[in-house]
Amino acid sequence: MYKNYIFSVVAFCLITIANGQTVSTDLKEEENIYEKIYDAPLNIVGESSLQFHELYSTNPLLLALNFTRCSGVCNPFLLQLKESLELKDNSYNVLVLSFDSRDDLKDMKRLAESLQLDNNSQWKFATTSKIEELNQSISFFPVWDSTKSQFDHDALLVGINNEGYITKKLIGIRQGHDLDLLIASVNNIFSPTYRLPNKNALFSCFNYDPTTGKNKPGLGLLFIALPALITILILIIISLFTKRNKLE
Amino acid sequence: MESIKLRKITSIWIITILLLFIVSIVLGILMRLNQAGTISETPTTFYINMTTHGLTMIGIWYVAGMAAINYLMERYVKTNFTVNAIAYILTVIGVFLLWTSTFIGKFHAAWTFLYPLPFKIMWEKWATPLFLIALTILAVGWLIWSISLVTKILKKYTIAQSFAWQHFKKNPKVETPPFILISMISLVGIIACLIAAAILMAMYFAEYFSNGNFVNDALLMKNLTYFFGHTIANEMLYLGLAVIYELFSEISGRPKWKTTWYVALAWNCTLVFILTAFFHHLYMDFVQPEGLQIIGQLASYFASLPAAGVTVFSVFIAVYGTKIKWSLPNLLFFIGIAGWVIGGLGAVIDATISNNVVLHNTLWVPAHFHTYNALGNVLFSIGFFYWFANQFTENENSEKYTKYILGTLLVGGIGFLLAFYIAGADSIPRRYSNYPEELVSGAPLALMGAIFGSIYLIAILFFFFNISKRCIKIIFSPS
Repeated sequence: MYKNYIFSVVAFCLITIANGQTVSTDLKEEENIYEKIYDAPLNIVGESSLQFHELYSTNPLLLALNFTRCSGVCNPFLLQLKESLELKDNSYNVLVLSFDSRDDLKDMKRLAESLQLDNNSQWKFATTSKIEELNQSISFFPVWDSTKSQFDHDALLVGINNEGYITKKLIGIRQGHDLDLLIASVNNIFSPTYRLPNKNALFSCFNYDPTTGKNKPGLGLLFIALPALITILILIIISLFTKRNKLE
Repeated sequence: MESIKLRKITSIWIITILLLFIVSIVLGILMRLNQAGTISETPTTFYINMTTHGLTMIGIWYVAGMAAINYLMERYVKTNFTVNAIAYILTVIGVFLLWTSTFIGKFHAAWTFLYPLPFKIMWEKWATPLFLIALTILAVGWLIWSISLVTKILKKYTIAQSFAWQHFKKNPKVETPPFILISMISLVGIIACLIAAAILMAMYFAEYFSNGNFVNDALLMKNLTYFFGHTIANEMLYLGLAVIYELFSEISGRPKWKTTWYVALAWNCTLVFILTAFFHHLYMDFVQPEGLQIIGQLASYFASLPAAGVTVFSVFIAVYGTKIKWSLPNLLFFIGIAGWVIGGLGAVIDATISNNVVLHNTLWVPAHFHTYNALGNVLFSIGFFYWFANQFTENENSEKYTKYILGTLLVGGIGFLLAFYIAGADSIPRRYSNYPEELVSGAPLALMGAIFGSIYLIAILFFFFNISKRCIKIIFSPS
């Protein structure tokens, strides 16, 4: 009787351990791809206020989210981004947007100056009154830590093409080839890294739906279970059609 | 009692397996010497050797287990000689075509031939279809053989009896011998993984001949590849264990092992979980659903630990505090179980997600699978070969060399494996034909592996000459 309890406890422990060991982050690069970004009003340092769509329709955007009081990843992230983009072309603009409602244009101006980007027309520093909605549209959810007076957040760079679609997201401080792919994506240049929907791929495990931004289980998943199902079937058939010399 | 024809075909299997084993060991040593910088192979040659080595090793130790259980199964049920012979012929044809595709066609996509590598032609154009045909022939031959043996078991036992389910109740009326239980569990797993291989081959052929009208899903192909590859690599070990359950007590002069409820439960767990453990090969595939990754880790534990637990317990009980008739075969079985357990622990460590982040694609991976093969499954099969060959030939007093041969085998095997383990712990990546300067310990450890691998080869050559000589006598004996 107690065997069942022991087995249950062992199984529970193993499941808990396994679950704890899987990498779990709320932020996922594959989410929201080919969805439209929220058309938030922007207050841009040194420029008049405008809507998001007015900005990305003139030039594709790389959107970097940060806040000026950040004592963590924000500054290294922006410094590395600045350095990495120095030698790239100017087929895009970079929008540094604060997600902290305490930040105002003066704070953002100081940030631009500290990075020596205040005179660089390719870089724009802005705030918005609709940050919640914008965060929602890119699945970016910074968490306020009241003991540290800091946001707990990842470094996120979002590629937006000139139609306002999110083409690619990069989490963490990334450089080189990853940025090339991001720039290619916002300029609608084919990137072989992505699998495009293909009518000839009949047995995909998952099918990505750009309209919902979600993966749906596909026919391919069935194929993974198929060998076991066929084996069971074979066993049943053999058992039914074999003349057995029974032991009993 | 087994037939003379069965003895002869088993002898032919044994000689063929040992010959292919020696060639494959030499290929392995050449790879390690190249990594050490002692010899200079082109990367293409290195990967040709790697592809041939991996596939041949998996193939021969699978058929070694099958030949052994086919022979021993005759004690319980009548097996089909014709199917056994067909499996041999198809295996020889398959290996011949496989080696042609690699050595002449220069196909070198590794034993995993992960999609879409076979279609990225970096070799003779005909080598890709030939490689796929070779694998199909092998899969078909082995599938027929496995189904034939299962059919024979089910002629005598019901499905429930063959899985020993009646042992979950008190005082079962019918006893399922452990050998039948483990053979059945292994054969069912083998059938499933060979069906996965057949589906995989069908998918490859469909894309190859469709002129772009059909393309495969990389995630599905990788899942199927490891369903086949991981499962067969494990099931062949279990075939070896079936032999041990049958022969260890017999050779040791101890009472025959019996099936109990916990033996039945452990092996039934093994069947269920071994078919899903392969998910641990896809931890790095971010598109694989998280649930399957968790199943992969749990199944890796549940597939290996119960079977290992009851086997070690049974062997421990058999040898502890009792007088054992130690001879070369049961010593090989005993050491083989130790190798299997140690390699298995290495595998479980690697199958734990948090460890896999560090160990993935390092030499830790070949370290653990070489442990439960080179010092595990190989010893199970060689123990059987030695026992078999000595049954029908005169005793030539070769037992006096036992301690020297075992010593050589162990020194060579352990040294060879240590080189892998140390390199793996030092994050030296696997599948590099040459190590860059940054990987300082890579080359000297590869040289160490080659030297100890050569010592291991010396011991294997002893077994080859000793066993083959006797098997040739069996083949040519009139009765």
